[in-house]
Amino acid sequence: MQLREFFVPSAIKLDLAAETKDEALKELVSCMGLDGKSEGILYKMLKRRENLGSTGIGRGIAIPHCRSLVVTRLRVAFGRKLSGLDFKAIDEKPVRYVFLIVAPPLEVSNQYLPVLGKIAQFGKEADVPELLAEISSPEQFIELLDAKDL
Amino acid sequence: MDQQLELLLEIQDLRMQRRGLTDGTLTDLEAEVFDIKIEDAIQSLDEKVEQLAQKLTRGVRERYRRIADKAPRVVAPVINGICYGCFVAVSTARASEADRNLRVESCEYCGCFLYHVG
Ligand SMILES: [Zn+2]
Repeated sequence: MQLREFFVPSAIKLDLAAETKDEALKELVSCMGLDGKSEGILYKMLKRRENLGSTGIGRGIAIPHCRSLVVTRLRVAFGRKLSGLDFKAIDEKPVRYVFLIVAPPLEVSNQYLPVLGKIAQFGKEADVPELLAEISSPEQFIELLDAKDL
Repeated sequence: MDQQLELLLEIQDLRMQRRGLTDGTLTDLEAEVFDIKIEDAIQSLDEKVEQLAQKLTRGVRERYRRIADKAPRVVAPVINGICYGCFVAVSTARASEADRNLRVESCEYCGCFLYHVG
């Protein structure tokens, strides 16, 4: 399983309009092609997860995630905000890269945990924040995932 | 969407989140990568679920409690007419698309509340 299989160009936003954490969550949820009601429920669940503790893992990276009945398969999105967002991250630094992961309650192929784990591993690689700052197209984002063989 | 059904959906999603923390699937990742204090998180989820359950009408709440005591799944998704609680085709799926999720329905086979997805 490779991370690239889950990312589609329409859910890779290299220039988020969002100015806040909540706006960023909404903007990324809106990439998932759901109806308005489902988007609202998903956003609420992501917020509930954030309330347990920020998903900002440090070095400018956040990985908001949840399971919800409103999705029928695992979906991911990536958003970049180079000027930074206040995510109440572990290291208290602004977040510039947001990886959103949502999955249905039960999946036949059980991809949620491995995908979440791989993205966390990607986010922890020393040069990743710098490389994410440099990419200029969704295709380059995918190439970066390939280069890291994740 | 029916408001009671929306509450049930939220409750179900929170119960799944709790389950991921207690059955070992997400426990290590949440603790190590995200620095979550598992016991605090479980307590907080339990409180939230109870708060939402209090907003259910009496009849729905009583049905909810009966199911919730027995099984982790309270609401089952219906996808292409199949209840994913018991994998049986449900007759309610014949309702027109516009009518779906506008009232609280239960699966006649497994008893789960039903949520039509997609
Ligand atoms: Zn059923």
